[in-house]
Amino acid sequence: MKAVVIGPGRVGCGFAGQLLHASGYEVVFVSRNETLVKHFNQVGRYRVRLAEARRSQEILVTGIRAIWAGEPDHVAGAIAEADLVATAVGAQSLPEIAPLIAAGLAQRRQPTNVLAFENLIDVAPYLFGLIMLTPDSSSLAQHGLSGALVSRAVTQRIGDPAKDEPLLFVGDPPATFVVDGLGLRPPLPKIDGMSITENYPAMVLHKLYTFSAGHATTAYLGALKGYHYIHSAIRDAEIRAAALAAMREGQRGLAACYGPELAGDQSELQQIVARFENAALNDPIARVCRDPRRKLGADERLVGAARLAEEAGILPHKLALAAAAALCFSNPSDPSAAKLRREIETMGPEQTLRRVSGLDPDRGVGKLVAHDLGRLSSGQCRGNLLLSLEKLIWSWTA
Amino acid sequence: MRIGFLMLRYPPTRMSNILPEVVRLLSEWGAKVDVIYPEEQLVDLSQVRVEHDLCILKAKTDLALSLAGVLHAAGAAFLNPYPVSMTLHDKIMTFHVLQAAGLPTPETYVASHPDQLTPLLDEGPLVVKPYNGSDGKGVRVVWDADELHDAPSNQEPLFAQRYYEPQGRDRKIYCIGGQIFGVKRVWPARTYEQKLGEPFTITPELHNISLRCGRAFGIDLYGLDIIENNGKPYVVDVSSFPGFKGVPDAALRLADYIYSAGQRVLNGEPLLPSQEKEVEA
Repeated sequence: MKAVVIGPGRVGCGFAGQLLHASGYEVVFVSRNETLVKHFNQVGRYRVRLAEARRSQEILVTGIRAIWAGEPDHVAGAIAEADLVATAVGAQSLPEIAPLIAAGLAQRRQPTNVLAFENLIDVAPYLFGLIMLTPDSSSLAQHGLSGALVSRAVTQRIGDPAKDEPLLFVGDPPATFVVDGLGLRPPLPKIDGMSITENYPAMVLHKLYTFSAGHATTAYLGALKGYHYIHSAIRDAEIRAAALAAMREGQRGLAACYGPELAGDQSELQQIVARFENAALNDPIARVCRDPRRKLGADERLVGAARLAEEAGILPHKLALAAAAALCFSNPSDPSAAKLRREIETMGPEQTLRRVSGLDPDRGVGKLVAHDLGRLSSGQCRGNLLLSLEKLIWSWTA
Repeated sequence: MRIGFLMLRYPPTRMSNILPEVVRLLSEWGAKVDVIYPEEQLVDLSQVRVEHDLCILKAKTDLALSLAGVLHAAGAAFLNPYPVSMTLHDKIMTFHVLQAAGLPTPETYVASHPDQLTPLLDEGPLVVKPYNGSDGKGVRVVWDADELHDAPSNQEPLFAQRYYEPQGRDRKIYCIGGQIFGVKRVWPARTYEQKLGEPFTITPELHNISLRCGRAFGIDLYGLDIIENNGKPYVVDVSSFPGFKGVPDAALRLADYIYSAGQRVLNGEPLLPSQEKEVEA
């Protein structure tokens, strides 16, 4: 069996590639990074470290090959021969790879399945739309296409392919993923850790409005308070309480919409917090805070969860606080954060909230976020840090 | 990650739990932490090796400083660098660096005999400090020549500064990795609660002074003592790796910073991250 994985990054290698290899697939990666392609074709392997506080397990992924994305015919040929196609490129890069996938699928006689290991709501219809926009796409609807909801956090790639250093991907142990049974075509792929659901959109929201909401709350409040790592920030009592409360607000919205079983309970939240405490992941706050503009989207982890909670009659105070903290996030080297800063400076925070999050700053969740943003903005400036969330004590006055 | 702390064992009555908590957190996060008490062991100099990715010099005893010097010469990475710790152990050198950097300090004098300081008392009282002291030990305000001569007789240099009566409580400023924390406390602080003081939001002027101090010495883990007189702040002491009492979540913040410094060493990056560029002279 052959699998083509487009995007040999943290999720592509540290999760999808590893599980496909363990399931007996010969894995071929597609990358736009020529150096990485050359490295993989030379060494044919990489390692995955599944790390917990005091234990870690290393898995060797062997027999891999890679193709440069700049050779579309070569990529299309590999997809045409593959038993499975997977993507793990990040939401922004999907438009770039859709023509590559379309060209490969167009050469096939038998239907296959495409699994999108992307952290994006409605990734399957979005990617399907991109593929169908390509020329001669009429035959492509026969193929299966599903999002793949990843349970593992892969936080690091260690090693530099330019120096021919062996690559190591570091993540936590969870090894399961969920796919959308309604989107796939027979024969269904058999991959270790894969489960099939017919309630995929709700499963995506469950992860997004609990784990991702708590992760983002920890990260953006952690950035305000000056921590470097998720495992540090989650040990700050104020941040820990806020992250748990934000996830609980998310759960309550989910419970009202999809039922308590899907929403999960307090013990699940404690397990999530325990994952955040895992220092072996070495997960930097700056990584989790990346791309705040997307993460503040109307349906995303903070605002989406808050809106769902509001619909259930709950005032999502901590989700709103986390959204306000995300609006304060500053990192000039992050294009999304830099754009957000420019928008706030030129349009003002209220108009930015309307534009980025679709929230009315005079009502409901929007009013809560605007209120918290007003409080946080009072002392917020580059290099400053919040000493106490509760008392709103800042390190220094601007 | 292997981290070595050169420490002085504190008496069991000591209330602050910050350093033991830092060690506990770093160990919990997977670092191998060795706490070394130089005063409590026989050291065979021929056997001293660099065994840690990162060394932290907390004890400022002569033996700890000398041992740190041996490790520094052998290539150990110190947080803060050993030469800076030595400079900060000597108030004469410390205040020279501060004054050369244009930082506000009281007028500072060095003498080898009390008589040399006597004429300065015509302009007002002096503060006389042990040139290599810390924690306020041996600090005296001297108003007349008799008090000058009351000082214990030894061969050490006399370090004196013009006395500016503090207005309001003492201001301790701590820096952890470029992050600045202000703590107000009474002087002299006698009880543990008094030593904890209370956090305060510092002014842009003090923030600027604090960052410039770090830059002057090339460190980002330090403490400053500031007094304010007639609205003007004066730096009256700088210390490398102080106690950080009163800093909110001090142990967690220190552990977070030390862990990130250890990661930089492991990644072959500079130990000191680039400091704020907008600090104005």
